[in-house]
Amino acid sequence: MDTATAKKIDPVLEELQGIVGEKNASGAKHIRYAYSYDLSFVEPKLPDYVVMVQNVEQVQEVLRFANREKIPVVPYTAGTNIGGLCIPERGGILMDLKQMNKIIDIDVADGVAVIEPGVSHAQLAAALTPLGLRFGWPVGPPSASVSSCAISHGIGGLNARYGLQSQEITSMEVVLPTGELVRVGSCAIQKNAWHSTLPLPKLDGLFKGWLGSSGVVTKMGVNVHPAPPLLKIFTVSCDTVQDMYSYMFNLSNYEICDDITAVSWWLSQVPIPYPYKEKPDDAAEWNSYATTFSWTEAERDARAEIWDKVVAEEKAKGTSIQVTHYPEEALKGRTQLPSQVVGSTKNYCKQGGAGISWPGTFTPAKKWAPVYTRWKDILIGHNLSPSVRMSMYRGVHYGMLRAMIPFNKQSKEETENARQAIVECLRVDLDEGGIPYKPPVDFAKEINLRADPGYLMLLKRVKEMLDPNDIMNPGKLGI
Amino acid sequence: MEWDIASLEDLEHYIWRCTACGTCKVAYDFGPPATCAPICPAGTEFGFEGNMSSKGKIAFARGILDGTLEFDEDLLNDIYRCTICAGCQNQCQLDHKPFIPEIMEAMRRKAVEQGVGPLPLHKNLTRSLKNYNNPYQGPRRLRTDWTRPFKKAKKPIKNIMKEPAPTLFYVGCTGAFNQGARPIPTATASLFQKLGLDFGILGENEVCCGSTAMRVGDAEEFKRLATHNLELFKKLHDEQGVETIITSCAGCYRAIKKDYILSSDYDKMMDGIRVVHTAQYLHELLQKGELPIEGELAMKVTYHDPCHIGRHLNKFEVDDDGSQLWPGAYLGMSEEDCVYEEPRELLKAIPGVEFMEMERNRSNSFCCGGGGGVMTGFGDWAAKNAGLRVEEGMGTGAEVMASTCPFCHFNLNSGAQRIQSSMKIQDVVELLDQVIPAKD
Ligand SMILES: Cc1cc2nc3c(=O)[nH]c(=O)nc-3n(C[C@H](O)[C@H](O)[C@H](O)COP(=O)(O)OP(=O)(O)OC[C@H]3O[C@@H](n4cnc5c(N)ncnc54)[C@H](O)[C@@H]3O)c2cc1C
Ligand code: SF4
Ligand code: SF4
Repeated sequence: MDTATAKKIDPVLEELQGIVGEKNASGAKHIRYAYSYDLSFVEPKLPDYVVMVQNVEQVQEVLRFANREKIPVVPYTAGTNIGGLCIPERGGILMDLKQMNKIIDIDVADGVAVIEPGVSHAQLAAALTPLGLRFGWPVGPPSASVSSCAISHGIGGLNARYGLQSQEITSMEVVLPTGELVRVGSCAIQKNAWHSTLPLPKLDGLFKGWLGSSGVVTKMGVNVHPAPPLLKIFTVSCDTVQDMYSYMFNLSNYEICDDITAVSWWLSQVPIPYPYKEKPDDAAEWNSYATTFSWTEAERDARAEIWDKVVAEEKAKGTSIQVTHYPEEALKGRTQLPSQVVGSTKNYCKQGGAGISWPGTFTPAKKWAPVYTRWKDILIGHNLSPSVRMSMYRGVHYGMLRAMIPFNKQSKEETENARQAIVECLRVDLDEGGIPYKPPVDFAKEINLRADPGYLMLLKRVKEMLDPNDIMNPGKLGI
Repeated sequence: MEWDIASLEDLEHYIWRCTACGTCKVAYDFGPPATCAPICPAGTEFGFEGNMSSKGKIAFARGILDGTLEFDEDLLNDIYRCTICAGCQNQCQLDHKPFIPEIMEAMRRKAVEQGVGPLPLHKNLTRSLKNYNNPYQGPRRLRTDWTRPFKKAKKPIKNIMKEPAPTLFYVGCTGAFNQGARPIPTATASLFQKLGLDFGILGENEVCCGSTAMRVGDAEEFKRLATHNLELFKKLHDEQGVETIITSCAGCYRAIKKDYILSSDYDKMMDGIRVVHTAQYLHELLQKGELPIEGELAMKVTYHDPCHIGRHLNKFEVDDDGSQLWPGAYLGMSEEDCVYEEPRELLKAIPGVEFMEMERNRSNSFCCGGGGGVMTGFGDWAAKNAGLRVEEGMGTGAEVMASTCPFCHFNLNSGAQRIQSSMKIQDVVELLDQVIPAKD
C-alpha cells in the first residue's frame, strides 16, 4: 500500500487534517521520528500524529476531538526542555505550537509583552532591544519558547532580582484539555488588561509547573524591564563550596545584582570535560559572576562599593575568596543572551556527544554545600564531571543547584550511566529538601515517593478536574 | 581518478553529535540590537521539526542509520525538500557543523545507491546530464546561442579549444541554456571585451560542472563530469595557456572550489590554474583602478547573497588529530573565502546607486529557494520562496535586487513574477556593463 492510501484510511489523521489543513497534520514516520527524542537520557518514543496548529480555534478543536477520542496530546514548542518533557509517554498527538508566534503587543508603559507560545527568546529579544527593554534571557537555545520556559519555572539572567521566569507571568489565555478557552490574571476580567495575576486568586498556578499536562497556553503576558546601559560584573573564586556559599549569601542580602551565580571548575570549562577530568591543583574549585546593570556611573560605583564591602567581610572571615578575572568569553556567554554559542550546547555537551541531562533543582542555599559534596562523590564515582551551578533567586530566599551532565548519546551504556548518576544525585537533594524542576518521569517518581499524601491527592484531583480523560501529556507527573 | 565522497555511514559519528537544540532554526545575532529571522526555506514552508533546518535533517539521518526509517515516498520528498543552502549550518556550533550539508547530501546519495532517489523530476535532470552533458536537455549547439550577437557585431568570442587565451570564461549551463539567465553571460562577455580581457569560452565543448548531480545525490554522474572537467582544465592549461578560470555561476564556482577537491588528483590537475568568480575578478580590477566606470545608474539596489559563493565557502577548522581538543572537534570557522564584500563594493562603486541591505544578509542570507535540486523537484515552492526573498528586498525600498548567480537570478525572477512585484532582478555584471564604456 502506498503512503498516500495509508493516510486516507486513517480516520484520526483525516480528522486532524480536517482541523488544521492537510499540510499541517502528518502521520508520516519520519516526521514523527523527528519529535521522538531530545538531548536528555529519556528513552525516545514516537507520537502517532503531529499537528502544526495555527490559531486558538484549531487548538480547541484538536483538544475537543482528542478528549472525545481519549487520545493523548503533547504540547510542544521547541522541545529543548532537557527533561524529555515532550517525548510522548503514550503516543498520541504531538501538538507543535511554534507557528503560533505573534508578538501581540509590547506595552512599554505597563512593561508587559503579550506573546503567543511560539515566540522564541531570539524573536522577543529582537523586538525588545530597539525599545530599550529586556527580559531575563536564559542561557538556552535562542529558538526556544519564552512562554514554555516561563510555565516550566525556567531560569534567566534576572533571577536574582525578579525571581523565576514564571514569576514574570502577568496573565494567560489557556485552552483546557476539554477544549474550553479560559483566562487567568487581569486579562480574565478585562480582555485587554495583561498587567498582573494579583490580587485575584492565583489560578495561573494551574498551568505553571504542570509540564503541559493541564492545558495549552495560547497567549501569555510577561513583564519586561527597562535595560540600564551600564553593565558591571563582579567575579570571585573560592576553593570550597562553603566559602562560595558564604559570599553569595552575603552579597545576595544587599539585592544589588540581577544574577548571582557560581559554577564549579568543571562547569566553567568550555566545554565540560567528559569523562571526568581532575581539576588542576592550582585552580580554584568555584568561580562566581554577579551581574549588575546601572543607569548612572554613580549608581554603578555605589554597587561596587557594596560589593567591595562584602568581599572585605568574607576575607575577614578567613575564607579562600579571591577577586578574579573571569575569562572574557565565559562572561560573554553569561551576559550576551540569548546566545547562539551557549544555547547550542557548545559549552555543555560538545565533548560528551549530543547528550545532556541534569539534576536541576530548587534547593535552599544553606543546603548547597552538603548536597554538592555528596554529588561530587556520586558523579566522580560514575566517571562524570561534577559540573555544578548554584544561583540565588530573589535575594537569599531560595536557590538553584544543578549539575550539567554531558554524555555520549550514541552509547546506550554511557547514557544509562549518566541516568543512574543523575537519579542518585537527585535522591540526595530531595532528601535535603530540594525539588527538581522540569523533571523527567524518573525524577517525578522520586518526588512523589516523598510527597505528602494530601498533596498528591490534591494534585490528582485538580488534574482530574481539568483533564478528566487524562489526555494532556499523560504520564509526565508520575502519578 | 580517485574520489573521496563520504557515505552516510562514514558520517555516522558526526550525525550523533547533534544535540537537537534547534539553534539551527533561526538566523540570530546577539547585536545589539539583536536580530532574529527564519533561516530555513524548508522549515518556513513545511514547518514540522523534520523539515526544519539541520535538526530535522539529522533526525532523518539518524532514523535511516538506526533502521527506524525506510526511504518511502514521504521521506524521500522531505530529504529533497532542502535547498542545501547551509543557512542552518551557519548557526550550529557542534562538532558536526562542518559536515552538515555533507550529511544531507549523503542521505541523498544513499537513496540514489538504493535505486529510490533522486525524485522522478531529478531523474530527468540526471538523464539529461548523461545524454547532453547539461541538465537542461539542451543539445550542445544551443550552448553558444547567446554568443550570436557578438558574432553579428563582429566581436566574436574566442573558442578556447582553437585559440589559446590565458583566461577561460566558464559560462555554466544555466547561463547558457536558461533563457531568463542568458543576459548574464552576455553582459559578462560584453564587459570582458570592453575591458580588453584576453579570454575564451569552451562553447559546445563545455560540459556541466556536475554541481546539480552532486546536490541531488548522484555521485557517479558528478564524478564523470568532474573528472572530464579536471582533465580538460589541465589540458587547457598545458596546451592553451589557461591560467585563470572565471565562473559567473555561484554553483559552478562552488563545485570547482569545493567539490572537485574531493579528487585525489585535484592539485595535479589544477596546478597553475586559479579559479575566480566574476565578482571577485571585477573587484580586483576595481581595487587596482582598472574598472573604468563612467556612467551613472540612479537606482536603489539591494544585494542577494547566493549561498554557493557565500556561506558554502566557509572554511572550518577541525582538530583532526585531536592535538588541541579531541579528534574531530570543531574549532572555528573563517569566512575569508566567502564572496560577501566584493559584489557589494562593486555595486557601491557605481555612481547613483543607493545600496540598501536586507535584514538577512551575508552569512545569514535567506536562500532564494532554488538550490539543492529544489527548483527542479519543487518548482512551485522554489518560486514561492523566492517571492518571500523578493518581498524582503522590497521592504528595503530597493527597486533592483542584484545577485551574482544565474540560478538565483532565474528563481528570484520567478518569485517576483509570482507575487507580481515590480522588483527587477539583475546580475551585478549586468549593472556594471551599463556603466563601463567600450574601449574604442
Ligand atoms: C543548552 C541548554 C541550556 C538551557 N538553559 C536554560 C536556562 O538557562 N534556563 C531555562 O529555564 N531553561 C534552559 N534550558 C531549557 C529550555 O531551553 C528552556 O526552558 C526553553 O525555554 C523551553 O522552551 P521549548 O520551546 O524548548 O519548550 P518545550 O521543550 O517544547 O516545552 C517545555 C514544556 O512545556 C510544555 N508546553 C510547551 N508549550 C506549551 C503550551 N503552549 N502550553 C502548555 N504547555 C506547553 C511541553 O509539553 C513541555 O512539558 C536550556 C536548554 C538547553 C538545551
Ligand atoms: S544541527 Fe546543530 S544547531 Fe541544529 S539541533 Fe543539531 S546541534 Fe543544534
Ligand atoms: S540547508 Fe537550508 S533548506 Fe536545508 S535544512 Fe538547512 S537551512 Fe533548511
